[in-house]
Amino acid sequence: MSSEAFSQLVDAHYAPLYRFALSLAKNSADAGDLVQQTFFIWATKGHGLRDAGKAKSWLFTTLYREFLRGRRRDTRSTSLEDLPPGETDVAAEEIDRVTQLDAAAVVAALQAVDEIFRAPLTLFYLEDLSYQEIAETLDVPIGTVMSRLSRGKAQLRSVLSTMNERTRKVVPFDGATRRNQA
Amino acid sequence: MNNQQAKFILSGYRPGGQDAADAMFGDALSQAAADPVLGAWFAREQAHDRAVAAKLREIVPPAGLREAILAGARVSGAQPAPAARWQSWTPRLAMAAAIVVLIGAGAVAVWPRPMDAAESPLAKFAMLDARETSKHGGHGEEQKDLQADLSNNATHLSGDLPVDFAALAKTGCRTLDLGGKPVLEVCFKRNGKWFHCYVARCDDFPSLPAKQGAQFAENGAMGAATWADGVHRFVVASNTGVSAIRRLL
Repeated sequence: MSSEAFSQLVDAHYAPLYRFALSLAKNSADAGDLVQQTFFIWATKGHGLRDAGKAKSWLFTTLYREFLRGRRRDTRSTSLEDLPPGETDVAAEEIDRVTQLDAAAVVAALQAVDEIFRAPLTLFYLEDLSYQEIAETLDVPIGTVMSRLSRGKAQLRSVLSTMNERTRKVVPFDGATRRNQA
Repeated sequence: MNNQQAKFILSGYRPGGQDAADAMFGDALSQAAADPVLGAWFAREQAHDRAVAAKLREIVPPAGLREAILAGARVSGAQPAPAARWQSWTPRLAMAAAIVVLIGAGAVAVWPRPMDAAESPLAKFAMLDARETSKHGGHGEEQKDLQADLSNNATHLSGDLPVDFAALAKTGCRTLDLGGKPVLEVCFKRNGKWFHCYVARCDDFPSLPAKQGAQFAENGAMGAATWADGVHRFVVASNTGVSAIRRLL
């Protein structure tokens, strides 16, 4: 791959990869490291990929594997059967709440979602990969992707709702007290 | 298919409409179009998904990341050569191919994340390179001597290491290029685990302190220790983690 083609590959994918990494790694520095490491691996191995159309999936898969490799595995494993069922209905006001939040708050909410749901959920919202490609990237069956998406969305809504409640809390203005004290 | 099943399937339908032609969603979409309750649910679900996706798209990668990626790729030396050319190379040339070229003096192949002293560009560079062990390997008596010292359990690495930089470079020690400056690399084994020692000349990296005690950096499983003795700056990197490296010093 020429350096020009490599630059094009970077330009096409580094932003969504960074967003995915940010949801996984939870901080900008580690997310940047993950993205750079992913392209580093591409530069050493990935250019041998015969099907150029698979480059995007390859990059997301590699980033996810690097993330799993780099972090200490959580010893607490959550069985999907143990998880509460996903809440499937979206209240109309929830949509307004999301639009009122800034992007960083929405990312923070995504980061608060359990990791098992966070990866498919972020890939879904990035809209770069189909559910089939998400399944390949995460190396899980398609049904599992659907299930995790459904439950992940429910968890995200719950987190967003909590965030909205927090931001809606009225902090009493103590100006009156100050005036009385003056 | 009942509405619960349709909701389950439609939860994977991307809000931008990219899946409109995907047969898997066909029946569920038809059902949503025919059933007002399901249709209303789907419309709200899509609106919510669109709102979240739009917020996610607002996240902009930090300035400098793109440039760091491009520079980092150059560290790999991976401008792929035609296969036939690779196959025809002699082992000596193959080793030369492993020499990493970093183009551009300012192009330090690290993502400029906030760093403490231990995370110097050299340490980061070493941690990246230490992952790619398939490219490692050197030769020469000078290197063998240094490798023997490094592999000796009695050797404390932060003590005086017998480094003749010019002789090592000249006689075949693996040499990398960091911003136009040579960096030597020698692999060694301690207690069955591989470590990678990188040696640079302090004069080549004037922005880093010429004399410095050991400091440590960590990136996932990869760890590194870096120190300088006034003449040479050393980095030892390994995927065994910082604590294993600390025991070598």
